[in-house]
Amino acid sequence: MKRQEINRLQAILLIVFLIMNSCSKFLEVEPKNYVSDEITITDAASAQTSVRGIYDALASSGYYGRSFQSIGYLSGDNLQFTGTVVYNQQFIIHNVQSDNGTISSVWTAIYKAIDRANHAIEKIPAITDPKLTSTLKDQLIGEAYFIRALAYFDLARVYGGVQLLTKPTSSLENITETKRSSLEETYNQVKSDLENAENLLPNTLNRVRATKKTAWALFARYYLYTKEWDKASSYATQLIEETTNYPLIAPYNSWFANNIVASPESIFELSYDPAFITGNSAHRNSWQPTENGGIKDWIPNEDFLQLINNPLIGGNRNTLVAKTASTWYGNLYYRSNGTDPAYVLRIAEQYLIRAEAFAEQGNLEAAYEDLNAIRNRAGLEAIGYKASSTTKETTLLAIENERRLEFAFEPHRWFDLVRTGRAATVLGITDTKKYLMPIPLVEIKVDKWLEQNPGY
Amino acid sequence: MRYSLKTIVLLLMISPVYSLAQETTPRVNSNLHGKVLDSLSHEPLPGATVQIEGVTHSVKTDAEGNYNFVTGQKLPYTLIISYVGYKTKKVIAKVSPLNMLLTADANQLEDVVVVGYGTQTKKDLVGSVSKIEADEINRIPVASFDAQIQGKSTGIQVNNNSGVPGDGINVRVRGTTSILADNNPLYIVDGVFINNSSLQTVHTGGRTTSPIADINPTDIISMEVLKDASATSIYGARGANGVVIITTKRGNYNSAPKINLNVSAGQGKLSKYHFWELSDGPTNAEAVNQNYINTRLDKGIAYDVAYASRPFRPKIEGGRGNPAEQETYDRVGRVFRNAKLNDYDLSLQGGSESTKYFISGAYTSQESILKVADFERESLKLNLDQKINNHINIGVSNTFSRTGRSQVGAGNGSQGNILSSAALVQGTYNPIYNPDGTPSLSGNRDNVDVMIEDTDIKAVSTRYIANLFAEIEILKDLKFKTSWSLDYNLYDEKGYWSDRMLQGQNGGDAISSISQATTWINEQTLFYRKKIKGHTFGILFGNTLQGNTRKNTTAEGSGFPNNSYRSISDASIKSNSESWTGSNLASFFSRIDYNFQSRYFIEASIRADGSSRFGSKNKWGYFPSIGGSWRLKEESILKDVSAINELKLRASYGLTGNQNGIVDYASSGLWTGGAPYANSAGGGYSAGTAPYQLGNPYLQWEKTSQVNVGLDIGLFNKITIDANIYKKYTTDALLSAPLPSSSGHSSYVANAGELSNKGFEFGIDATIVKSNLFSWNTNFNISRNINKVEKLIVPITYYSRDWIRLEEGYPVNSFWVYNQLYVDPQTGNAVYEDVNSDGKITADDRKIIGTALPDYFGGFTNKLSYKGVDLSFLFTYQIGNKMLNLNRFLSMHGGTRADRSLYKEDENYWKKPGDITDIPRFTSQGNNWTLETVNRFIEDASFLRLKNLTVGYGLSKDLAKKFKVQDLRIYITGTNLWLYSKYKGPDPESNTDAEQMVQGIDFGTPPQPKTFQLGINVTL
Repeated sequence: MKRQEINRLQAILLIVFLIMNSCSKFLEVEPKNYVSDEITITDAASAQTSVRGIYDALASSGYYGRSFQSIGYLSGDNLQFTGTVVYNQQFIIHNVQSDNGTISSVWTAIYKAIDRANHAIEKIPAITDPKLTSTLKDQLIGEAYFIRALAYFDLARVYGGVQLLTKPTSSLENITETKRSSLEETYNQVKSDLENAENLLPNTLNRVRATKKTAWALFARYYLYTKEWDKASSYATQLIEETTNYPLIAPYNSWFANNIVASPESIFELSYDPAFITGNSAHRNSWQPTENGGIKDWIPNEDFLQLINNPLIGGNRNTLVAKTASTWYGNLYYRSNGTDPAYVLRIAEQYLIRAEAFAEQGNLEAAYEDLNAIRNRAGLEAIGYKASSTTKETTLLAIENERRLEFAFEPHRWFDLVRTGRAATVLGITDTKKYLMPIPLVEIKVDKWLEQNPGY
Repeated sequence: MRYSLKTIVLLLMISPVYSLAQETTPRVNSNLHGKVLDSLSHEPLPGATVQIEGVTHSVKTDAEGNYNFVTGQKLPYTLIISYVGYKTKKVIAKVSPLNMLLTADANQLEDVVVVGYGTQTKKDLVGSVSKIEADEINRIPVASFDAQIQGKSTGIQVNNNSGVPGDGINVRVRGTTSILADNNPLYIVDGVFINNSSLQTVHTGGRTTSPIADINPTDIISMEVLKDASATSIYGARGANGVVIITTKRGNYNSAPKINLNVSAGQGKLSKYHFWELSDGPTNAEAVNQNYINTRLDKGIAYDVAYASRPFRPKIEGGRGNPAEQETYDRVGRVFRNAKLNDYDLSLQGGSESTKYFISGAYTSQESILKVADFERESLKLNLDQKINNHINIGVSNTFSRTGRSQVGAGNGSQGNILSSAALVQGTYNPIYNPDGTPSLSGNRDNVDVMIEDTDIKAVSTRYIANLFAEIEILKDLKFKTSWSLDYNLYDEKGYWSDRMLQGQNGGDAISSISQATTWINEQTLFYRKKIKGHTFGILFGNTLQGNTRKNTTAEGSGFPNNSYRSISDASIKSNSESWTGSNLASFFSRIDYNFQSRYFIEASIRADGSSRFGSKNKWGYFPSIGGSWRLKEESILKDVSAINELKLRASYGLTGNQNGIVDYASSGLWTGGAPYANSAGGGYSAGTAPYQLGNPYLQWEKTSQVNVGLDIGLFNKITIDANIYKKYTTDALLSAPLPSSSGHSSYVANAGELSNKGFEFGIDATIVKSNLFSWNTNFNISRNINKVEKLIVPITYYSRDWIRLEEGYPVNSFWVYNQLYVDPQTGNAVYEDVNSDGKITADDRKIIGTALPDYFGGFTNKLSYKGVDLSFLFTYQIGNKMLNLNRFLSMHGGTRADRSLYKEDENYWKKPGDITDIPRFTSQGNNWTLETVNRFIEDASFLRLKNLTVGYGLSKDLAKKFKVQDLRIYITGTNLWLYSKYKGPDPESNTDAEQMVQGIDFGTPPQPKTFQLGINVTL
């Protein structure tokens, strides 16, 4: 080998050596948009961000942001379908298939909220940070319990008894194989979570976050569903008596019109921020006509319009609907930047819960008093209680009809008719298997422990 | 990284040392000169090699075909003359000057083919490699070279997706091997692994733009498609979907400057073949009435009551007028136009003894026939090579381009969509303007004229692709090469939706999105080749380091003062976001090849790839291959059979991998900071955190094994046949595996599937006539690929309504539908197949019917020339692929939707008892309506298309001289001139979505235009 050739070879080997040497850390690239799940809930600040993260799931479009609510109101008898995606129509005509897109997005969204709550419930108690006072700690854990209670309650209403998961999913390994619990067990989980929430949450006033009062309100609804009338009426009373915090404001539209948020009517509503426009707009689009920038997936049907626009029945609740040149549309969700709150618990519901509880207990006069409070606020005349002619049945029917209009575009009507066993009479659904929605087909296929509801 | 700069400096420092090496002046014994000419045309052959046998002394001919020897050898001696595409010839030189004639080699056995990290002659190839000459196809006006190769080679399926120039297309080399990871081949331009995933972020209906369109096709000289494992394994982790190596033009040493100018202009037109024909207003209105009445009957409402309130009833009764009184308003015709096409291309190439260069500048503008969309590209190319001395060469390749697009929404999305929602689905009885003259927004959809006038979406892509290399001959036969590459792309999008459009109803809506993708690559190879008697032996070592980053900053705004203010600074509501992601790849590779007397060939390679995307346990993957070939022609029994000039058997087996296309951090468990919520009523949001994805530390390389057996035959020096059979099997397929959502997560990235592709390829090329006067070459190719999902934990569905489903035992891109058997003539109700025989029709009765993948595909090319006139045409075809006609589905036919258009072909819907039809009674109740995902909309989209027809006339040499030019050719070229397909839409290649698992859906997809271009090409 010539000397020059040896020189060349040495130079090349040096280059190769240098390049191979620089490889050591080369195959580690850290993300910038996300952080590792090994360091998540460790101090006061991260405990608080993680709890806001649970509300984010609660307010997401799959849950209270739109889809969950749509199951509640579309399955009733107030709306007709004008959009393109047949999934929505399936609720209106009570022929829901297990591959329905809403059914699966709601399932996913609710369990997402549950998993986030589980993370908080598991990790926050272990934090030792002086900034995390015991009051704050209790509040945060209590909020997580409350949202988990609400989530399981909503799952039970839509799907029946479900898989009860109370531990966070932190890795693929700890995805547990769980069978569905019975409806009773699911309700027991709701009850136990609500009790924890009631104990831990502060007795303050906050209409967009859970407090002790929020837990009471959900308890009242819970006992209405479990038909424990005593408890339902006593929890409702606790809130109704707070007349300063929770007055029935008149006229009816005072709690939603003119861009109001967190009106005194609200016990719990979910708040949307105009600075986050991208996540907000889904709900109002389904309601608003093209002229207002919506896509009008559904509009009030003819029967409902006759009721709501009848001054003797709808009263000033007719502000729920509005009309373009050609069509009527629902106007509860109307804000162009998509910041309409999601109304979860209102004081009006507590009146009607107590009315129903009283009626079921035979205290018809008291029932009418609460019912008339609602009618009065809607600008309607009171229905006179006559000991001679008023029966429990007529009272319950009056409450049922009042609820139909009072909560026309909130997720109540379907759950009410199912809970009271009146769906067959009112909606003509004779097949009681249809009272529960199908478990999403995709979940059945993925999870061998998950059984489909009968009839699907 | 720290060393990269140092390394460059080091290289630069050592370079001058070599230039000092000196040669001693030899003693002159003879002086020989002459010309090398084509045996038929007697045209000079520049760049031919003339070598004296037995010694290493060789020279190359100059631009005029002249060579010159000044040598110590005494005459006579034997010369070996070789030239690409010609038969090598031996001549005994006795006197000077000596002119020599070379005969063109029709079979191109000596053709140089570019392979991974090297070149080979065609006869020496072990792997399966197709070479595509760029000049045959680069005038097809589709903006990107990948769209131009359709039908030109076996094993490569190209789907053009849409008629918008510069939109992304699908290219599959021997089938779909991946689910989540990218299925497009690896593109290498002048040694740079270029980015092929779109940077588009603004939604325009589902499709995205093609980054390949940043490259000017006329700068390309050839494309080699590497198909089998023997050819692709050297690219290891990126070779599973085939490799396309693009070589751009370079200059020649010792050649005079050559200027080439090409100008062409033309027009694209809408093809009327199977163009959407909507029913007229009265017929459409009658169908709406039918639906209205039937729906109410099904709800139990009496006929009289239902009839009395039908929408199209006399105006005095409060209706919209009787159906017969309705006008017809055409929207679809408004959105198409004749599109202008323009091309200007100027290049200069040449070289001195030690420098060669290629410089080009080009401008292309192509309008889409769909209004508003257009494409234009300005590009510059500079390729330089410099010999430092006899041992060192350095070179650069530079591509710089700016691509501008006007875009328009077409496809999915009810807002801002010009073709589907603003035109195709709108009832033809709906006026386009209100009585007061304002644009009507009937049926919640954008107004077609407003869409045409107000659409304002612009995207500008600025691209720089560069490669710098140095080749050093360390020892004789031992070469070292180092190369440094950069692919930088800045993609700047700006969209504004005016307050007259649905998306802009809140005072206008604007987005500005800026993306950057950067790839840098450093590569070293060391190559040794030695020939000892009949034994040829080669060995290659190399390494590659590659870094990729991608960054995006987006600002959005709405609530503008008026449509004159379009800057987001003027918006009253604003939001913004930022993202960054990066990955690194390190590789080491080696290849050994050996052949005995050009008769037996064996080749083995291995590549090790490490990726930052995978968990610590599985970062590295190893991809070996082995291949061999046997040239039977060289055996004594065939050696003298003149009818057979080539017979070669090839076989290979190897492993390749894939990780392209999966997200960079798929293996890590992550939390997001993007889950904000309020602390108190009326307060703004504060930050919130939440789980984002579960980690999968076991995530690893997807692997595809491939076995290939091939046969190359050459007959009569005129016909070549290339046949292959292959089987690919993918294991550990990367996919987004579903999880039980009760875990709080719906999916994670896993190695959880297996796929197979098997098939054959057959190509025949025949030069039927070749003389000075007339020549005719024909080429036919056909490929068959059978794709199958072999293993999948659970079926995975795609697209809205789960139209597409991935399921074990079926091909990818399969359609999942209810199977309608017939329509009951008495009731008009559709009768469906009860697949699971449980007596009811539920989602469990959906089944897979057909796939968007073709059974067979290929092309048929003919090139004829007579004197100065040349004619060529190319047919492309696909057989057996299905298409979901979503346009039809979204009209009244699909679900008897209110206020929608009706297609003329669908006017035979069921109307009264006794009607025999496959379109059920229109109603919005019951199964006819609810079970909407039906096989009725899955259509056969097999096709045969006259893709290209070109007629040209070139001046004879004498005439050209009169005009003082070297060459002058004028030509007319047409594309998509003829089509045959059963598909009931204008384009059987339509594709509405960029997601690779969502293929074969036609949803407001603009068809490919018929184009005509007139061009002139001058060489000075």
